[in-house]
Amino acid sequence: MYSEGFPILSLITYLPLLGVLLILLIDKENIGTIRMVALLIAVLNFIISLPLFFLHDVSTHHFQFVEMLNWIPALGVSYYFGIDGISMLMVILTTFLTPLAIWSSFSAITERVKGYMISFLLLETGMLGVFVSLDLVLFFIFWEAMLFPMYFIIGIWGGPRRIYATVKFVLFTMAGSALMLVAILFLYFLNYYYTGVYTFNLQELGNFPIAPNIQLWLFAAFALAFAIKVPMFPFHTWLPDAHVEAPTAGSVILAAVLLKMGTYGFLRFCLPLFPHAVYEFMPAISILAIIGIIYGAMVAMVQKDVKSLVAYSSVSHLGFVMLGIFALNVQGLEGGILQMINHGISTGALFLLVGMLYERRHTRLIADFGGLSKVVPVFAVAFMIITLSSIGLPGTNGFVGEFLILLGTFKTNATYAVLAATGVILAAIYMLWMFQRVMFGEVTKEENKKLTDLNLREKLILLPLILLVFYIGFYPKPLLVRMEASVEHLLDTVNKKYRVESIEQNNQDKKITIAEIVNPEKNEGTHDE
Amino acid sequence: MNVQIDLSLLYPHLFLLIWALLIFAIDFFMTEDNRPSLGYLSIVGLIITAILSFASDKGTTFWGAFRADTFSLSFNIIFIGSAILTIASAIDFVKDRLKHHGEFYGLILLSTLGMMFLASSSDLLSLYVSLELATIALFVLVAFMKRDLKSTESGLKYLILGAASSAILVYGISLLYGLTGTLTFAGIAEQLNTSFMGGPLFILSIILIIAGLSFKLAAVPFHMWCPDVYEGAPTPVTAYLSVASKAAGLAAMIRIFFEGLHSSAAEWIPLILTISALAMVLGNVVAVRQHNIKRLLAYSSIAQIGYILVAFIAVSELATTSMILYMIVYMFANIGAFIVVITFYNRSGSDEIIAYAGLSKRSPFLAISMVIFLLSLVGIPPMAGFVGKFYLFAAAIQKGYYWIVVLGVLTSVISLYYYMMVAYQMYFKSGDDNSRIKVNPTLAVAILIALAGTLFIGVYPEPVLSAISGASVTLF
Amino acid sequence: MATLEHYLILSAILFCIGVFGLLSRRNAVGILMSIELMFNSANINFVAFSKFINPDILTGQIFSVFVIAIAAAEAAVGLAIVVLLYRNFDIVNIDKINFMKW
Repeated sequence: MYSEGFPILSLITYLPLLGVLLILLIDKENIGTIRMVALLIAVLNFIISLPLFFLHDVSTHHFQFVEMLNWIPALGVSYYFGIDGISMLMVILTTFLTPLAIWSSFSAITERVKGYMISFLLLETGMLGVFVSLDLVLFFIFWEAMLFPMYFIIGIWGGPRRIYATVKFVLFTMAGSALMLVAILFLYFLNYYYTGVYTFNLQELGNFPIAPNIQLWLFAAFALAFAIKVPMFPFHTWLPDAHVEAPTAGSVILAAVLLKMGTYGFLRFCLPLFPHAVYEFMPAISILAIIGIIYGAMVAMVQKDVKSLVAYSSVSHLGFVMLGIFALNVQGLEGGILQMINHGISTGALFLLVGMLYERRHTRLIADFGGLSKVVPVFAVAFMIITLSSIGLPGTNGFVGEFLILLGTFKTNATYAVLAATGVILAAIYMLWMFQRVMFGEVTKEENKKLTDLNLREKLILLPLILLVFYIGFYPKPLLVRMEASVEHLLDTVNKKYRVESIEQNNQDKKITIAEIVNPEKNEGTHDE
Repeated sequence: MNVQIDLSLLYPHLFLLIWALLIFAIDFFMTEDNRPSLGYLSIVGLIITAILSFASDKGTTFWGAFRADTFSLSFNIIFIGSAILTIASAIDFVKDRLKHHGEFYGLILLSTLGMMFLASSSDLLSLYVSLELATIALFVLVAFMKRDLKSTESGLKYLILGAASSAILVYGISLLYGLTGTLTFAGIAEQLNTSFMGGPLFILSIILIIAGLSFKLAAVPFHMWCPDVYEGAPTPVTAYLSVASKAAGLAAMIRIFFEGLHSSAAEWIPLILTISALAMVLGNVVAVRQHNIKRLLAYSSIAQIGYILVAFIAVSELATTSMILYMIVYMFANIGAFIVVITFYNRSGSDEIIAYAGLSKRSPFLAISMVIFLLSLVGIPPMAGFVGKFYLFAAAIQKGYYWIVVLGVLTSVISLYYYMMVAYQMYFKSGDDNSRIKVNPTLAVAILIALAGTLFIGVYPEPVLSAISGASVTLF
Repeated sequence: MATLEHYLILSAILFCIGVFGLLSRRNAVGILMSIELMFNSANINFVAFSKFINPDILTGQIFSVFVIAIAAAEAAVGLAIVVLLYRNFDIVNIDKINFMKW
């Protein structure tokens, strides 16, 4: 094993498991202790993860805090953890939001608290594992392992249609990742064919030119898994169901972290491994992203339920992220990554706010509200700030991200940028219209007059999110600086490989077809070691 | 011909034989209250047999009819392991619902003995005889609940189809013998290498052999007996059938096809490919509609055989390793699931999936164990099933069989659906009866062993892999 | 003079009769008898092959002895179950015992 100093990534990833063990020891009637242990573990995990941000070496694109050890040597599977500027931000986002989500469920979850907290901590381990794994098998394991805690969180503590929603969520995700597994195995044997090394190590895998026609298939298999998770336009149908039915904290984590796994997957795997296919698929994905932006916004506009409005706005926002990534330039990518974080903060906060409202009124229909700003002013202010950040008002975090994405897209294709910009306008319409109907006007319903304003716990949950909204809005540099080296390196890899492959493609002698690679005679040598 | 008998290779088998006969004999001298201890005695015997298997040498004896190698050792451990888990799960069941303890345990031991011989056989005669030793004991075990019509009925069905399949197998063997003039696998392989073997008679013999063995595996289209027998048989016997009997069939298949017939692989791969695809599709699709947990597990086990055969068509070292690994993984998960079913049945007397409603509140331990076993059967990490399936699929992809793997992963998604429906009853529904279920210590230990195996192999498969990695070398 | 082909054709016919009986018979004893036919057709094969291919080594003939023994064991267990069905439930016909769907 070699690791650069203290294995901090493993500690962060598995600390929640320690929490699970602790909670298992507590009697299930002792709800207060269970909640405190879960929260403390999550907060502790956040504190431990902070050095990743502050000690991050901005000068290099290399993976940092690397841990590497042979795990299944017979197959070349390694236990390989490491982060760069991109995944570091995702890790921090996860450890930052998990305690808030757990804290927010103190009042919302009153039944089977033990199981809930266990599921949540297991989920955190799964999510962190996905972001820090640099071995394809390890990545896949965490990717799938995180499904089942989510299945239970939605299925047990969710809304009325929770069963349908959770089964749909799990089946969609599984169906997508099933083909990714086949692609991973294919890539593995392909790599052996070229290099003679059995490895699933991400950095060693990509070091040979994959024939363009094979790249298309592999890219498609990976992209399907990630596109379902993002979710991209035609695969988004699980998302509104899952978001609406999940308990508040589940929605927060789902929106803020789980969706990012899809976009992160594109960044980490699809781009560097299959550059040719990326360029080939670029128009298709950009167009799907734009359809997602506009369609998500349109559907959000007509929603009657605040939570499903927020859910559809996610489809729209994630469209922006995908558009930024597939602009394939520095601005687009940086904007996309920043927007991933922004969406995590804003939409996470929106779900929290909606959840707080729901706990008081047990309804989420826009028509049931109205004039709330008079009754619950603090809540209204918080909601206002988050709404504006979600729209992307200058001075909030959303503006920086969307601006960079549009800038990047404009450099690649002006038409896309113009179309996507309509999404910004639509977002302003549906968010502000919703805000107006909920917050302004006369208080028409009796029940709304008795609403209590935010209590201390709720204020403390929202405060860090609101601070971040402004901090990133006014001074995004610390984040941008940290991702810069990684983004530039990523683009370098993509373009360099793409050029090499284009040359090779012209050289017809070197073109390799699937048939040749799978030819059993050629593989004969593979099983006599 | 000089005498070639090295009995030291057979110590584990001889010991188990004597032990089984002792169990039959001791039964006579015991009072009814003491008889459950026969179960523990059988487990002790099996553990000693396992130790002897590890300790005994590798080699060939009886003029090449018996061969002890890593392959047979791996399978012996699977047979012994499933017998131990089965007996541990059966002790309560037998005490409450069956008479004749001695015969029950003794027959399980004899069946295990047959399977152990089977894994070591290296000619068609010893393979056939040991297969029948294993199967005939199972006929009796399936029909063991004499007063229960379902058990007797499933016993008769299993016997008729089992005997018919054995007749088909032996007819196929007779043709193969006629074509090659020899019964040893090595001799057959040599014949096939030196002279081209094609022709309708050869194909027919292969078809008949595959058909005969597919009955043991319960692979489509020879699976009809499986759901009925699984439902009707005493549940511990079902657990044993679903793992050990399949493992035995698989060991026979690997011995015959990898050792004897591998040079004519082109002739039989399409057949196995078809069986595999049909088993995965039919097993998983029909399982969706089941409302009895034993039938559900029966169809899922048909599908599992489909997954295993995905690797079979690769005919490589990786294929052998992956199939053995998967069998071990499958043993823990499937017997584990059946132990939960038995524990639940002991208390509630029902095998209906609806009866599992609210189990998470009645016994969180049983519910979470069931979920872990089922997830392992789907192949969700970090359960062992993932490593197992990963290996199976890797073996197939290595040889370029993509579409069957794609089919495999997609049907896994279907299987996830019906397993989730069990989890749905246990976690999301609440039943009428909310009394707590206490799990008695023997069953709890058996479940814990299965859980430990499932999670350990899932997280750290290396020790198991290195232990079985030698198994394939001996075949090629 | 009977050649190998004659024996093989005879055994094939016997085997087919056995399969037909297995599928068409309703009486459990009849089914067991049909299975015996299938076993015996294989025995004819073994003995014939042994005689015509390799008359010095008796492998095939030995195999057929084993098959006879195994077939007897199977028949014994089978008849025991049939007797059980008859005694406890008064059933001998296989189509009467369909309490589980096939």
